Amino acid sequence: MKGHANMAGAGKEDQSEPGDALVRPRDSVDEHVAELIRKRSAAGELITAAEIPDLWEDEYPPFPDADGSGEDIAGILSRLVHENEDLYKLSGAGYPCYYSDLHMTAAYAQIMFHKQEGPLRLIAETVRKNSCECQRPVALDIFTQPPFNLEYNQIRDYLSIMTIMESYDDIVATSSSASMIYLYSTAHLERDHAEMLAEWLDVGQAHNP
Amino acid sequence: MSGYGGWAGKVLRVDLSTGRSWTEDTIEQYKAYLGGTGIGYKVMWDEVPAGTKPYDPENRIIFAVGPLAGTGAPCNGRTAVTTLWPTCWPLPLVASGHMGGQFAAKLKYAGYDAIVIQGKASRPVWLMIADRKVEIHDARRIWGQGIRTATTAIAEIMGQDAVVAAIGPAGENLVPMSVVISSVSHSAGGIGSVMGSKNLKAIGVRGTGSIRIAGKKEDWEKLIKYHLSLLGANNQHVVPNSPQPWAEFYDPTTRWNASRGKRWGAAGHLVDTGTCAPRETNRIAYRSNMAAFFVGDNAWQHTVRGSGCTSCPIRCHTILKVPAVTAKYGIPAVGQNTCVGFLFGRSFFKEFTDGPKGMTALEACMVGMHLSDDLGVWCNYMQLQRDFMKLYYDGVIEKKLGSREFNSYSWSKYEQGDPAFLFELLPRIAGKEGELGMVLGLGTGYMLERWGLSETEWGKDKDLAYWKMGHPKHHASEEAGQCGLLINLMYNRDAQCHSHTNFLRNGLPLPLQKKLAAEIWGAPEAVDGLGDYKPMHRSKARMAKWSLLRKELHDSLSLCNWMGPWVASPIRERGYRGDDSIESMLYKLATGDDMDREELDKVGERIFLLHRALTIRGMGTKEMRVHHDKIPEWVFTDKSGKPPFTKGATHLDRNDVQVALDMFYEELGWDKATGAPTRGTYRKFGMDGVAAALAKHNLMPV
Repeated sequence: MKGHANMAGAGKEDQSEPGDALVRPRDSVDEHVAELIRKRSAAGELITAAEIPDLWEDEYPPFPDADGSGEDIAGILSRLVHENEDLYKLSGAGYPCYYSDLHMTAAYAQIMFHKQEGPLRLIAETVRKNSCECQRPVALDIFTQPPFNLEYNQIRDYLSIMTIMESYDDIVATSSSASMIYLYSTAHLERDHAEMLAEWLDVGQAHNP
Repeated sequence: MSGYGGWAGKVLRVDLSTGRSWTEDTIEQYKAYLGGTGIGYKVMWDEVPAGTKPYDPENRIIFAVGPLAGTGAPCNGRTAVTTLWPTCWPLPLVASGHMGGQFAAKLKYAGYDAIVIQGKASRPVWLMIADRKVEIHDARRIWGQGIRTATTAIAEIMGQDAVVAAIGPAGENLVPMSVVISSVSHSAGGIGSVMGSKNLKAIGVRGTGSIRIAGKKEDWEKLIKYHLSLLGANNQHVVPNSPQPWAEFYDPTTRWNASRGKRWGAAGHLVDTGTCAPRETNRIAYRSNMAAFFVGDNAWQHTVRGSGCTSCPIRCHTILKVPAVTAKYGIPAVGQNTCVGFLFGRSFFKEFTDGPKGMTALEACMVGMHLSDDLGVWCNYMQLQRDFMKLYYDGVIEKKLGSREFNSYSWSKYEQGDPAFLFELLPRIAGKEGELGMVLGLGTGYMLERWGLSETEWGKDKDLAYWKMGHPKHHASEEAGQCGLLINLMYNRDAQCHSHTNFLRNGLPLPLQKKLAAEIWGAPEAVDGLGDYKPMHRSKARMAKWSLLRKELHDSLSLCNWMGPWVASPIRERGYRGDDSIESMLYKLATGDDMDREELDKVGERIFLLHRALTIRGMGTKEMRVHHDKIPEWVFTDKSGKPPFTKGATHLDRNDVQVALDMFYEELGWDKATGAPTRGTYRKFGMDGVAAALAKHNLMPV
C-alpha cells in the first residue's frame, strides 16, 4: 500500500493482473524505465512518457515497442506504478507525470506538476494550498525563487490575466506597509486576516527577531 | 568533590576590593540550582540584600555556566550573567544576560562552573584565569579602548586559545545601555556598566582541562547523535523556507534558508549550501544563513561562512565581507553577528534610498555592528532604535536639546538613511556626550522619566513594542496570544524566552502543531493560528509554564534557549516529533545524577521560583499581580477595530487576560490574588528558608 495519495490524480491507474509480472520478459526494460524516473526525481524533476525515449541510453535494451511486441511506454509506466511502492503518476490538465517518493515528496511533486501545467495554475494552486493548509498569504517574491523560477515582470503579467479569468477569481492581492505584495485565496482566508498576516510576515516578524 | 560528572566542581570567587580570590564547592553550595542563572539567583538571594544598587560594590556579577557546558551536547555554549539590572525601571531588580561563544566551555576547562565577582577595584583591572591560576591585572593600558583592541591585547598575553569577555567605553562610562562581549561578537546585554562600576574591563580565560562524562562513552555518543538528528535550523525551525524535493512542507518565513544553489559568495572557494536534508547531520551548519535572513538575499554574495558557539552545529552567526565599507566608512570589511546584531545599525533609520534590503541597508548593518560591538552599546532588543526614531520624528529631540547640540547632528544625513550618521550618534551614547547621548544610554524607563514623558503613553503604541519596566516585548501576545503575554510578564527585562516562539514559528502547519501541542501540553487548544486567537484555555497556561521552566533549565544547564527546546523535529517518520526529554537525558548521562524529565523540570521550577522571590524581595511588595505583572495598553488595542478573538485581530480581551493570569498562577502554585508564590509552593521545592525570609517582611500571601 502506498503511503499517500493526497493529490488529484495521484495513484495507480493500471489494474493488470498481479500474476502478469511474474512471467514478464521485460524486467531489464522495466528496471531502466523505473531508474529513469528515480534519477529525475533525485534531480528534483518529474518525468513524462514523452521524455523517456530521449533519455534512453544506447547500452540499454531496445526501447519498448521498437521490437514490435506491442507494449508501449505508457503501458510499461502504468505497470511500474502498480508494481513499485515508490513510483507515482500525476495527472491533471497537463501530461501525466511520474516520480519516485524515494527522492521527492508528494508535496514537491505537486508543485512541479502544477509548474508543468502552466504559470497561472502554478501560482493559483500554490496560493490556494498556502491559504488553505497553512493559513498564510504568499509573497510574490517566492515565485521568483526555485523551484518556481518565474520572472517578476512575468508574474505581474500573469496576475493581470488571472484577474479576468473566472477560474482564478478567488486569488487576490494585498500589500504590506513595506510594499511587498502578497497573494491569498478568498476561499480559505478572510481579507482582514490575510492583511494582518501579510503585515506580520513582512514587517512585524522582522521587528521580533 | 562529589562523584558527579558534568560540573567542573568549583565556583571561583573574586573580591575586587581586596584583590582576594577563593573557591567554593559547586555541588555543596549550588547543585540544587544546577548552574547558570540558577547559581546567579542563588548568589543574589544569599548575598545581595534588597536596596542594593547595581553599581554598589556589594552588588555581585555572576558569570555562570551549567553541567552541560563544554561537553559534546549540542548547543551548550551559553554563559548566563546575572546581576542587578541597571536599566530596570523604576527600580533595579535581578536579571540575566546571556552570551554565546567559547567562554562557557573555556571556563569549565579551567575548572570552574561560575565566577562570582564582588567589590570594586581601586583602578581599572582585568581578570586572568589560566586554569587554576587566577590573577588580577592592571588594565589602565586598555581602559578607554574598544572591545576589539582590549580583546586582542589580552589574547596576546594569554595566548590564542584564551577567550576574552570585555566591555567597551560604554561600560566603562557607566552607560546603563551597555554590553559585555566575548570573542568580539557574542554579547550579553545590559551588564557592561556593572563591570565598569567595578573597574573590571575584561575577563580572560584559558582552560586546558576537560569535563568528565559520568555515563558510558558509547551511550553518550549515541545520545549526541540522537539529539543531532532532532535538530532543525536556527531557532529549531524544522521545515525549509522554500519547496525542496525532500520536504513535505515549506514556510517562507523559517530560518532554514539553505537550498541547492544558495552560495556563500565571499568564501575562499565556491560553497553551495546544498539541500541539507534532515538526515544529513554533518550539514546542519549550512541550514541557516542569518545574514541573508535578516539583511536580505544580497547578503549571500557577501557571506564568508557561518560561525557560532562551542559544540553547536547551528551557526547562527554569519561572517560577512563587504569591501565597500572600508573605503566608504573606514571600517573593517569583515564582520560577524546574528539577529539583532545585524539589525542594530539599520534599525535606526526609517528608510534607505535603495530600499529596505538594498546595499545601503547592508552598509548600515556593517557600520552598526562595527560600532556597537566595539563601543559596547546595548540596544535593548532594538528598543533603543525604536525610541530614537519616535523621539526624532515626534520632534521631542529637537525640543529637548539646546539648538547648539541639536545642530551638531547631521539630521539630513539621518533622514536620508546615511549610515555615516551612526558615527555621530553611537560614540556619543558610549561617551555620555551631551544630553542626547546621555539620555539614550539610560534605557527607556529612565529616559522617559528624565524627559518627563509618560511610560503609559509609550505602552499604548504597538509599533514601539514597549512592554514594561524599561524594556520591550520579546515574542509576546502579538504572535503567541495569552502564552506570549504570560511569559513576558515574568521578568525584569525583556523576557528572552524562545521556548514558545521556537515551536510556534517552526514552520509546521497548524494541524500538526496542534497534534504535537496536545501531546506536550494536554490539548490542541494550547496553540492558535497567528492572528486567529481563541479565549484562554488551561493548556495555554501549561505551555507558558513549560516555556518558562525550559528557559530557566536551558539557562542553567548552558543549553541555548534560542535553539531549543527540541519538541518538534524535521523528521517526517517521527511525525515531526522531537523529544521533550532530551535535556534530562543529557543531564543524567553527563552528571550521573539520576533525574528524569519531571524531576529536572522541578529543578527548573525551583530556579524560576527563586527569581520570583528575588523580584518580590527587591520590590518590597507581594502584590505582584498589580505592581509587577503589568500589561501595556497596546495589548488590548487593534487597528482593525474588531473585537478580540476575530480573525485578523491580534489584541487580547481584558477579562480573558485575567482568566489567563488566574490559570497561570494556579499552574505554578502561586496565590491568585497577589501573584506571589504560596508558602506551600516554596516548601514543595525545599525553599522554606526563602519563604521565612519573605514572611519576615510581610511578603508572603496570606
